Amino acid sequence: MATAARPDASPSSSPAAHGSVARGVEPLRAGKGNSFLLRKLHSLSGIVPIGAFLIEHLLSNFEALKGPLAYANQVKFLNSLPLVRVLEVCLIFLPLAYHALYGVYIALRGKANVIYYPWSGNWMYMMQRWTGYIAFVYIIQHVIRQRFMGVSLPEHPGAAFHKVQMELSNPWMLAVYVIAMIAVCWHFSYGIWLFAAKWGITPGETARRRFGYVCAVLGVVLAVMGLASIYAFVGPNYKNAPDDVMPAQTQLSMPASRGASLSEGYLARI
Amino acid sequence: MAEKVIQIEIKRQSGPDAPATWEKFEIPWKPGMNVISVMREIAANPVNANGQDTTPIVYDSNCLEEICGSCAMVINGKARMACSALVDKLEQPIRVQPLTKFPVVRDLSVDRSVLFENLKAVKAWVPVDGTYDLGSGPRVFPQQQEAAYPLSNCISCCCCMEVCPQFNDATGFVGAATIAQVKLFNSHPTGKVLKEERLRALAGDGGVQECGFAQNCVQVCPKQLPLTEAISDVTRDVTLQVAKDFLRA
Ligand code: HEM
Ligand code: SF4
Ligand code: SF4
Ligand code: FES
Repeated sequence: MATAARPDASPSSSPAAHGSVARGVEPLRAGKGNSFLLRKLHSLSGIVPIGAFLIEHLLSNFEALKGPLAYANQVKFLNSLPLVRVLEVCLIFLPLAYHALYGVYIALRGKANVIYYPWSGNWMYMMQRWTGYIAFVYIIQHVIRQRFMGVSLPEHPGAAFHKVQMELSNPWMLAVYVIAMIAVCWHFSYGIWLFAAKWGITPGETARRRFGYVCAVLGVVLAVMGLASIYAFVGPNYKNAPDDVMPAQTQLSMPASRGASLSEGYLARI
Repeated sequence: MAEKVIQIEIKRQSGPDAPATWEKFEIPWKPGMNVISVMREIAANPVNANGQDTTPIVYDSNCLEEICGSCAMVINGKARMACSALVDKLEQPIRVQPLTKFPVVRDLSVDRSVLFENLKAVKAWVPVDGTYDLGSGPRVFPQQQEAAYPLSNCISCCCCMEVCPQFNDATGFVGAATIAQVKLFNSHPTGKVLKEERLRALAGDGGVQECGFAQNCVQVCPKQLPLTEAISDVTRDVTLQVAKDFLRA
């Protein structure tokens, strides 16, 4: 075989270690490095906990269709979970930050070539990267604006509906949410398909095709649910929701003396 | 009757560091021509479309029946074997260039030794060398043979690597062909003695994990290897091996 790049590549040593000019793609670094672990962790984190959280998040938001109070109750319930702040950091923030940052790193290193090879798998490969980028930008602004800016919802669950409604009253924001909703559901449902293919759960051609239908249905269901929730905030049903549908929540977290007298008064009433 | 001509444009490069240029040729048509036979005509009469004398094209080929794997190149934008690229089925002008992810030696000849290095790194062979006669190997049942045969068809053309979005300088990904050979040799009753070593090798940087399942490899493979199935199976085996090694450490 003709060799231009590594004329002195002897059978026992890798060309890179040789000091010769290594050209072309580097051969396998057999058994070296830890990218296998990091990559598998990325893959797994997409399903649990991030994917599981996405489903929880979409189900919770679906409560908005029942109105501001039901939505507030859902927010309140989530915030009443034991160790909720620990759960939030360990099961959402950290895995998501890892998946997102490592995901950008993966995406930047791939060289999409759909122009030359316009095949469906290749399109999906590219879409997985683009939907990832969209999710990346969207999630950053979403977390900053909804979790860390404005009314703090853990303390004021009653304000949740109003807060989201205000956000979506801006048509640009609405467009951002709709696009991101579709992108994220796409990314997640194709991600499940990818996961099954890559972990050897669906090695067979037919099995992969069938599972593709399952994932497509799941993706559509999730996206429709998500879009329906968005509609709940901007549609005619709950226009101009009150600032806070659970003002009592504020008082319960007040200094002990006042809290005590309040609850006494509350008890006296029943 | 006017003579039918074939219009062909070839990307040429006189050496690994020389600049690349496109050269046009007009070659008299003959029945049943393929891209290699067109280049043989050029070699017989090395004159380009402008009537200038030029050098014959440098390219690799051998069997001319899509079995040696040496003549892979990019023809009309797609990686494929030149000997089976029939002129009558190609849009003209036919544009031929070397594989883009392998260092050019000269013209259309590229250095694909990376695949050889990768096959060595995963020990893609059946170890039977020794100091005494090992006797006959274990029996391979027809069912096993049938499963192994499609994987044994690989001709090391490197098309699957050329079209793979993950096979590039940034990842140093091993590529589908090597992964398929790991599956082949791991399924061989004698070859599987090296199974664990092969799987550990593939867990290294540039290993199976880099596959993004774009499935271009399986689309392009001239020998129709079940590459995605192999990647799926082997990745599972690698993952289990890594888990086992972790727990036995
Ligand atoms: C809503 C949050 C997200 C969820 C639920 C999610 C879920 C998933 C899942 C399940 C996979 C398949 C795992 C696999 O490839 O085996 C995946 C893959 C991927 N994700 Fe995410 N992801 C999210 C956000 C992101 C973000 C923000 C990025 C940043 C760009 C990203 C980039 C990627 C990439 C590049 C892959 C493909 C990896 C590969 O093909 O090897 N993801 N994601
Ligand atoms: S499935 Fe795609 S990413 Fe994986 S080896 Fe084949 S072409 Fe490359
Ligand atoms: S797997 Fe197919 S495309 Fe890849 S080197 Fe072998 S024959 Fe060529
Ligand atoms: S010359 Fe052998 S495959 Fe084309």
